[in-house]
Amino acid sequence: MVISPVHYIVAPLLAAFAIPLLTKLYKDAARVVPGIVLFYNVIISFVLMQQVSQTGMISEVLAGWRPPWGINLVLTPFTAFLATMISVLGFIIWLYGFRFKRTLKGGVVKHYEILQMMMVAGSIGVIITGDLFNMFVFIEIVGITAYSLTAFYRERNGAEAGFKYLLIGSLASTFLLLAILIIYTQTGTLNMAQIAERMAFVPHTMKVTALIFFLIALGIEAEMFPLNAWAPDAYEQAPSPTSATFAAVVSIAGVYALVRVLFTLFDVSGVHNYLIVMGFVTMLVAEITAIAQKNLKRMLAYSSIGQVGLVLIAFGIGSKLAVFGAIFLMLNHAVIKSLLFMTGSYFIYNADDKRLIGLNGMHKQLPYVSALFSLAAFAIVGFPPFSGFWSKFYILISASDQKMMYLIIGILLVTIIELVYYLRAVGRIYFAKEEMEDVAHRPSVNALVAMSLLALFIIVVGVYPDIVTGYLNDAASALLDKAHYIQQILGSK
Amino acid sequence: MKKYIIFILIAILGLTLAQTFKAIPFGADRRGDLENPDKVAAYYLKESPETLQTANSITAIVVNFRGFDTLGEVTVLFLAATGLASILYRKEEEDEEEVERVRLPSSSLVRTGAKILFPLMLLLGIYVFVHGHLTPGGGFQGGAIIATGFLLMLITYKHFETNHKVMVWLESLAGLAFVAVGLYGLFAYGSFLQNTHSVGTLNDLISGGLIPLIYIFIGIKVGTELTNILDILLKIKKS
Repeated sequence: MVISPVHYIVAPLLAAFAIPLLTKLYKDAARVVPGIVLFYNVIISFVLMQQVSQTGMISEVLAGWRPPWGINLVLTPFTAFLATMISVLGFIIWLYGFRFKRTLKGGVVKHYEILQMMMVAGSIGVIITGDLFNMFVFIEIVGITAYSLTAFYRERNGAEAGFKYLLIGSLASTFLLLAILIIYTQTGTLNMAQIAERMAFVPHTMKVTALIFFLIALGIEAEMFPLNAWAPDAYEQAPSPTSATFAAVVSIAGVYALVRVLFTLFDVSGVHNYLIVMGFVTMLVAEITAIAQKNLKRMLAYSSIGQVGLVLIAFGIGSKLAVFGAIFLMLNHAVIKSLLFMTGSYFIYNADDKRLIGLNGMHKQLPYVSALFSLAAFAIVGFPPFSGFWSKFYILISASDQKMMYLIIGILLVTIIELVYYLRAVGRIYFAKEEMEDVAHRPSVNALVAMSLLALFIIVVGVYPDIVTGYLNDAASALLDKAHYIQQILGSK
Repeated sequence: MKKYIIFILIAILGLTLAQTFKAIPFGADRRGDLENPDKVAAYYLKESPETLQTANSITAIVVNFRGFDTLGEVTVLFLAATGLASILYRKEEEDEEEVERVRLPSSSLVRTGAKILFPLMLLLGIYVFVHGHLTPGGGFQGGAIIATGFLLMLITYKHFETNHKVMVWLESLAGLAFVAVGLYGLFAYGSFLQNTHSVGTLNDLISGGLIPLIYIFIGIKVGTELTNILDILLKIKKS
């Protein structure tokens, strides 16, 4: 059987439609089948990424209508890399949550697993599609799953967070649809390569209006300030595997959509400076708010927003090295932040006090989890020899290449803020004196394996970054080479 | 104060929108050259009757040209139903108390009318999605009509129950069949959701290749899913 990008979507869809039937035959099917599907996605990711790096871009035609008439799926080195990253993390998060809620009866586990799997599949769809409206459909899929998973717990304030997320998310969808509508009336096509080609003929006012609508809509998805009010609540109230997925998968897809629209579709000058400014404000506000947080998951949520801000800054700088750093940071953010959410949730699970004070003296009860949490905390701040160091390092170098000294000072200052609150959390775990009873919930084997895999990645990439830099380099050139993208898709007429 | 700021912001947004949309000549013929199309709309109008032999070109767009989007939309509906079920319906966890769906009994006029209308509504729904490639309407519309029929029964009769088992089977099998048709295209012709080459003749009931088949699956899936959503919503317990 020939492997093609459409498998990314078809396999999870088949599983999602079949799970309600399969659970009737085999009780645990709802928990096992998503793992098989996500693992299959990991395998095809590596096969396809190999294929892309050897033979170049893959553009798969759907329904037999070649682009621009039909919908196409595109794997460039950039999208193939992100799809691989999301597939791997989706599988690891599934592994972490394998025993999640297994004691609950009825359809709860089934619903949870279907939604979780489709959230990952939808995010992959956002990344691999070459069609603007198709991207909208996949953003809807991610949105619907994210709203319902946020409201999953009845006993918490999940409903409020979910409803807030639903309202803001629907606003984003509306603006996105309006923007697509404007683009379609002007270019007569929905294929992203052809839109990019015809964008030069669009009147300036139309272009700017569409651009602003895209920025609002995708800014909400990418958690850009001031459109990210939904994010902390959603991260806090969702089940922990879902919070990890928000950070590692959904925010990455949001940033990708924003970057694809700005870099490929539009040719408006000034957008890059806008990204730098908004990225910096996002980062500054989020990190300062993170210091004031009393709840661990909320603190991590604000830290996630801060990281996304830094990614936007790096994309805004726009040089090849900066884009390289930005993609590297997306990878690091996805891996490290999911490890932080995974380990953090065990602290919250075991603490009597759900606030940060509850972390006091945790290292005696959960030594391994504490070590992993500290490792991740140091990695995300950017200590060598962890992987987080390299991404920040490259972004700073690229900023200094562009003579943006104030930006460098700003990023370093924000890093100090970041350092303060992460060290505070780590300090509580190791040095605060607190008498505690024995822990009730030790991590299960599958969760330990999942967390260890992520930690291993952080250390290996930190010591030997060359295993990913080759792919990152190709990814950065692929994103910046717009003419090649257009020619590869439309040239295959 | 806050109110005025919001009002001003909305006014600015409205003005921008009005200005932008004023510049779009709605209603004018902007399809361009129909023989050698360079816009997708013109291409679809040309190819629907010629290559696909489908009289309703909107159906051709929805099910074939942009069939992948439709698969996505069907999935959105499926996930919305799943999400609602996960949030609202946890019968097994709670005590098996009888949920009051209808508080007041319907009048005999409504009950008799519903009984007559119900099979007719189902029939109309099926007609709409079976003829989706010939006349206006299709899978989503037909499914919605069917769900309306069930809604009528659910709010009229206190003890009307949808057969949950049959619904789950129909819904899952219809979804699987849609994907299976897509995979048939992938294996037989090398492209997911590709139509067969034998598409029949224009305006026949059996024409358009796989298009009517897909619309029937969509109709069944949408009908059962919407019915499930209504069923879940009507069973919310007051607490």
